[in-house]
Amino acid sequence: MRRKLDQADAAIVERLSRDARVSNREIAEQLGVTEGTVRARVKRMEEERLIRITAVTNIDRFKDAALAYIWIEVERSGQTRVIAAKLAEIAELGFVGVMLGRADILAITMVRNAEHLAEFVHQRISVIEGVRGTRSTLGVNFVKHDYRVARIVN
Amino acid sequence: MNDLSAPAQPAHIELDAIDLAIIELLRKDGRMPYRAIARELDIAENTVRARVRRMEESDTMRVVAVTDIEAAGYGMLLAIGVQVEGRAPEAVAREMAAIREVFSVNVVVGAQDIEILVVAQDQAALNELITDKLGAIPGVRRLTPALALEILKNQPDWVPFHAA
Repeated sequence: MRRKLDQADAAIVERLSRDARVSNREIAEQLGVTEGTVRARVKRMEEERLIRITAVTNIDRFKDAALAYIWIEVERSGQTRVIAAKLAEIAELGFVGVMLGRADILAITMVRNAEHLAEFVHQRISVIEGVRGTRSTLGVNFVKHDYRVARIVN
Repeated sequence: MNDLSAPAQPAHIELDAIDLAIIELLRKDGRMPYRAIARELDIAENTVRARVRRMEESDTMRVVAVTDIEAAGYGMLLAIGVQVEGRAPEAVAREMAAIREVFSVNVVVGAQDIEILVVAQDQAALNELITDKLGAIPGVRRLTPALALEILKNQPDWVPFHAA
């Protein structure tokens, strides 16, 4: 279990979740702490993988972009983790999780259209040894994604 | 991003190879100094500064801190399929999007009408979210949840900005 952010960490993260290019000095001034405190806390949170500071891009700015949910069933339950690990190596997949219910694994990716999705599943996922079958769902309207929370893995 | 200084409807910009290279570096380290980016790509520091600013002001890219769900106090993540009856899926989706624990909402085509991703502190909070909040929304016929036992990858690189 990873530790929960304390109050001082949470105040820094709140500022960074709006614009992480803001300087440590500016955050320090706003919170009434030293620049060294901000720097040390940010470094520690990153090292403990409590936060990740990264660029996110607006999906509405890309032509023909839709989110696809790919539900994967494996041949034998014992293969699930190995197959999930292989899926996690596929750069195009933004989410890979071992699931309880609906299917064995959920993978999420961005595709151009239904044809692109079918091609991606056929060429990249169905070919993995132990994949028994897939069911895909194509997004038509991406209403919300709060990018401020995620499971931080690497 | 300073929303006060941004135009109400930012103009759409075309990204070139330099923009994409900058985004790639910032995905790996969002706080990489402008000077280091300039050195890496062999361009002027002012160019990097201007490019980042242009992408931010046009609402194309943001550099943000992403908090781990556990560090934020949530112990569980679920993917829930929603079947809708007698109401537009978009209307149900918007109502779900207003709930804090529902962090992703997609109207989809297929066996389900909406796919959502939710987080919950514990089993009691999850029960309340599913039964009292999501299940009570008009038009919701059936919720089909799956619990994530292990998340091997979760990089929300491409997201809609309007509802964040």
